[in-house]
Amino acid sequence: MSRARPGGSHRLGARPGEVIDRSRTIEFRWNGVTHTAHPGDTIASALAAAGVRVFARSYKYHRPRGLLTADIFDPGAILQVGDEPNVRAAHRLVEAGMDVRSQNTWPSLRYDVKAVNQLAGRFLATGFYYKTFIKPERLWPTYEKVLRRFVHAGEVSPDSEQPYFDKRYAHPDVLVAGGGPAGMAAAVAAARAGASVMLVEQEHQLGGHLRWGDAEDLRCRDELVAAVEAESNIEVLTDSVVAARYDDNWLAVVQRGLPHVAERLVKARAGTLVVAAGLIERPYVFAGNDLPGVMLSTAVRRLLNLYAVRPGSRAVVFTANPEGDAAAADLRAAGVDVVEVDARHGRTVVRATGRGGVEAVELSDGSRIEADLLVTAVGWTAPTSLLNMSGANPGYRPDAARFVPDPAATPAAVIAVGGIAGDGTRDELVAHADAAGREAAARALALAASRAGSADTRDPVAVPQLGLHHHPELFFALPTGGFVDMSEDVSAKDILTAVKEGYDSSELVKRYTTATMGPAQGKLETVNTVALVAHATGKTIAETGATTWRPMYTPITLGALAGRKFEPVRHSPMQPWHTSHKAAPLIAGQWIRPEHYGDPVAEVRNVRQNVGIIDVTPIGKLDLQGPDVAKLLNLLYVNKWSQLGIGRVRYGVMCAEDGVVLDDGVTGRLAENHYLMSTTSSGAGTVWEWAENWLQTEHPEWQVHVTPVTTAYASINVAGPKSRELLARLTDVDLDNAAFGYMNVRTGTIAGVADCVLWRIGFTGELSYELHVPASYGLHVWETLMATGADLGIAPFGVEAQRILRLEKGHLIVGQDTDGLTKAYSAGLDWAVKLDKPDFVGKPELAWQAARGEHPKLVGLRPLDTSVVPEEAAQIISDGGYIVGRITSSRLSPTLGRPICLGQVDAHLADPGTRLTVRLRNGSDTTVEVTAEHAHFDPEGERQRV
Amino acid sequence: MSDIAAAPIARTALSFPGPVRTTDGWETTARHAAGGLRLADLGPLVKLTVRGPADGSVRAALGTSFGHTVRPRGGPLAGALVVGSGPGEWLVLGAPGTGGELLAGVRSIIADSGEFASVVDVTHGRALVRLTGADTPLLLSKVCAVDLADRVVPDGAAFRSSVARVVTDVVRDDVDGTRSYLLHCERSSGQYLADSLVDAGIEYGIEVGAPTEHDDATGHPR
Repeated sequence: MSRARPGGSHRLGARPGEVIDRSRTIEFRWNGVTHTAHPGDTIASALAAAGVRVFARSYKYHRPRGLLTADIFDPGAILQVGDEPNVRAAHRLVEAGMDVRSQNTWPSLRYDVKAVNQLAGRFLATGFYYKTFIKPERLWPTYEKVLRRFVHAGEVSPDSEQPYFDKRYAHPDVLVAGGGPAGMAAAVAAARAGASVMLVEQEHQLGGHLRWGDAEDLRCRDELVAAVEAESNIEVLTDSVVAARYDDNWLAVVQRGLPHVAERLVKARAGTLVVAAGLIERPYVFAGNDLPGVMLSTAVRRLLNLYAVRPGSRAVVFTANPEGDAAAADLRAAGVDVVEVDARHGRTVVRATGRGGVEAVELSDGSRIEADLLVTAVGWTAPTSLLNMSGANPGYRPDAARFVPDPAATPAAVIAVGGIAGDGTRDELVAHADAAGREAAARALALAASRAGSADTRDPVAVPQLGLHHHPELFFALPTGGFVDMSEDVSAKDILTAVKEGYDSSELVKRYTTATMGPAQGKLETVNTVALVAHATGKTIAETGATTWRPMYTPITLGALAGRKFEPVRHSPMQPWHTSHKAAPLIAGQWIRPEHYGDPVAEVRNVRQNVGIIDVTPIGKLDLQGPDVAKLLNLLYVNKWSQLGIGRVRYGVMCAEDGVVLDDGVTGRLAENHYLMSTTSSGAGTVWEWAENWLQTEHPEWQVHVTPVTTAYASINVAGPKSRELLARLTDVDLDNAAFGYMNVRTGTIAGVADCVLWRIGFTGELSYELHVPASYGLHVWETLMATGADLGIAPFGVEAQRILRLEKGHLIVGQDTDGLTKAYSAGLDWAVKLDKPDFVGKPELAWQAARGEHPKLVGLRPLDTSVVPEEAAQIISDGGYIVGRITSSRLSPTLGRPICLGQVDAHLADPGTRLTVRLRNGSDTTVEVTAEHAHFDPEGERQRV
Repeated sequence: MSDIAAAPIARTALSFPGPVRTTDGWETTARHAAGGLRLADLGPLVKLTVRGPADGSVRAALGTSFGHTVRPRGGPLAGALVVGSGPGEWLVLGAPGTGGELLAGVRSIIADSGEFASVVDVTHGRALVRLTGADTPLLLSKVCAVDLADRVVPDGAAFRSSVARVVTDVVRDDVDGTRSYLLHCERSSGQYLADSLVDAGIEYGIEVGAPTEHDDATGHPR
């Protein structure tokens, strides 16, 4: 590390309004050299105190740039801090140990090789990219590689730790954007009127321009801050910005400076928005206006009075307003030699000259003044973005030389206060904001009352109209020179060239030149751009109009927009067991399921030979109660349900109105008017909504209640030839085949747990019982099964083994063997569809499908080459190369020792024995034969009926 | 059927690092939370869902409607917390072990009403936590978009909304003047929801612990 440089060569003695803590000194690095700072310093103020003048190189020409505004909008102080690029160094507070570097300079900030671009400047003018790289198109990738090396941005290491972004919601009655005197006064008034208030300030402290003002300004600030702090229903967010306003006062607020959180997006829904954004000082466009040492008067006052930094030793102050005069006075008080150039008396600055910084200033009268600091105070830009986003379109007022909102054309839920609304003394602005704050509260509370059903009985608050002070129109010097947009390196000449080439409106010039598109988002550039376009077209500024102000007010990170990531996951009660037994996790929608426990093939074999248990908790389960449940089942399922006896279970298929298979599952009848329906795991929510939709919209007269109970039960399938023997050790239910046969349901106690439901069904093709256990006891029952079945060879099996087992058995999976076009007959469900039922969902379409008989069919497929397992989704092709179907499921069967498949094929190719060609992923073909049944194993079902 | 040596142990949807304890057949965390912002696992509480006409005899007997709560002082549901969790839908919360009595109580209400209504015991199918502390609105504002101001969600109010993207019944049920919310969701999402709440509450010093004498849906003086 280099030796620490003593900070403070430009540091002044204590100032009344300074925000630095002189009792502490911290160290940070700037381009590898250690500097000192005080807590409260921004990176830029600390560097300026150390005498640093050049902070960056410009976007296109790599010209040296210094401080211009000394706040978040400063285009000359965008730096790299550690792994974070594009840090606004005139806003970010310096921290001990910070590693600050200039961006995209090589080999150094001082000797930047890319400054050669200045020599080629005439070739890099307006529309350079469009004109130069458009042809030949094939070379664009090459151009792109070269251009990327010149991109003016920082670096993000792929190894950077991902910052934590956050999000919260807020519902203030009144949200005040801007914590200057007007914003604070409005917030206090609104709070005292009974409103909840969120006060958002972009700077690190409340106070706005009062912070760098005189003693009376500081006294006023202190009083207002104390008033804010005294109101418990004002939430103050500093270092935060109202980035956007959307319909119904949906406000995007980005909060920074929180511990452990990079940025937080506050989604605020405010009753009334008070826009108190103040005024932003506008730069002056003249030759040499980007030289380090050219600053705005507000920048100078920030540096002097907030950070006690002397920005130069001999200054020219070009002023057209009292704020410029105040800057001159502040500079003199700090010991700086000052020459004032008063625009109100007709003198203007036309040029600044120097190498690497201001050395002399040339005036309109031909005189030349040597100086290292040129201060401009030529007028203000009203940052009306939030008003424009609200639908108001402030108009240009030449007498005030700025855009001004019309209260009558502003939505009722939005009120402007402070400098953005008009001019006045400090007291007049505060009085106006006070009235506006009370009115904002009244409107918000009336809105809240109306939402609660109460009438609006409030008395409107009379808000005085602010006047406008005359201000000369000063935008650019003639002959034109200098830069309009220092972020984008767009010169005045570029604007004039664009107009000459036919881009004669603000919007077109913006897009052609990229003026106003930089990080300041037009706050510094828009009005000057419009003035130049107006000058070039011969129109007035009012006729020319500004470009559209869109979100974001200040650039924010993508992380802030993404906010906090919510990705719900669902676990079964047996998840701790699965985890401790090293189950491979399978993400199935939101569910985390065991895919296998190490060897799915062994798991299949164990089910066929002994007994296995699988956690099937995600299977959808709906509790159905009421005398009309059978009617609902008959409507939703394609098969019949009227005769289902108590204690019986039936498989059912649901189709949508278009006949496409929606879901399947079994439903058991527990009591006269009580059923338990199961659905696919992924279809649980859909089927619940489906049933409710039909009940509520088509048959509200039916007495049926549907209650989702998917996770009220932990579900365990016990499968294998020894499953009965195992279960008999743990239940009071009579498991004898004669007492509890295939496709029956019973309730009873398992492992000491009452109120369990047992279904005898067979997705795996083996003797099996599906146990639905009150979920809190799921882990207990699972562990008891494992312990009790040890001598029977019990082993858990996962979803992969289950998929193999069901494929051997030929059971389809909705969504795997069917898709969004597969109707019931295409899925081979002919046996289930009962067209003789009076009605069911999808019947007309299915009747039509049955009559046509041309539909694809799901068939069992047997690859002839037993060493090849066709991939799922592999295309089945005809001799002519046409696609005639696809493989929907395929596995190597551990039981049969050969590959097995299900597939959908065109109807004329679905006859058993038909041989088909499958195109594999590697481009080769293999032959499969259509089998007589879907089931490859035990098609008669003897194993599951024992 | 052979004898089962181990008595059944019920487990709630939530588990947290640290010791556990078993009380009345339920295994829960044994951690003690003493901070100003606490999350307690109330999984063992009895939970019944009741469906019936939104404005009829069942509603009258339950004593509350959608968006509100009541603690019946007498009758078959005395001591329980009845939540109007939806139009024509109620959630009845009771002390652990009272499921049989409450179920019978609701069934008697239904039988007496002559209306079509139903009750399902979802004690094992739902997760239930209580968040208590002055900062609970701030914590919840990070995971739920609903305005929790007093005039919108006063003590005794209930609503169903997305909390950290999980469908959740939120019940404001202050404890001795301190803000407190019951959050009730489908069981399998319970751990995720609790983890999300803890994550959101770190900046406010949230602690997770076993229920205290107040962290119970029953017995609140009104």
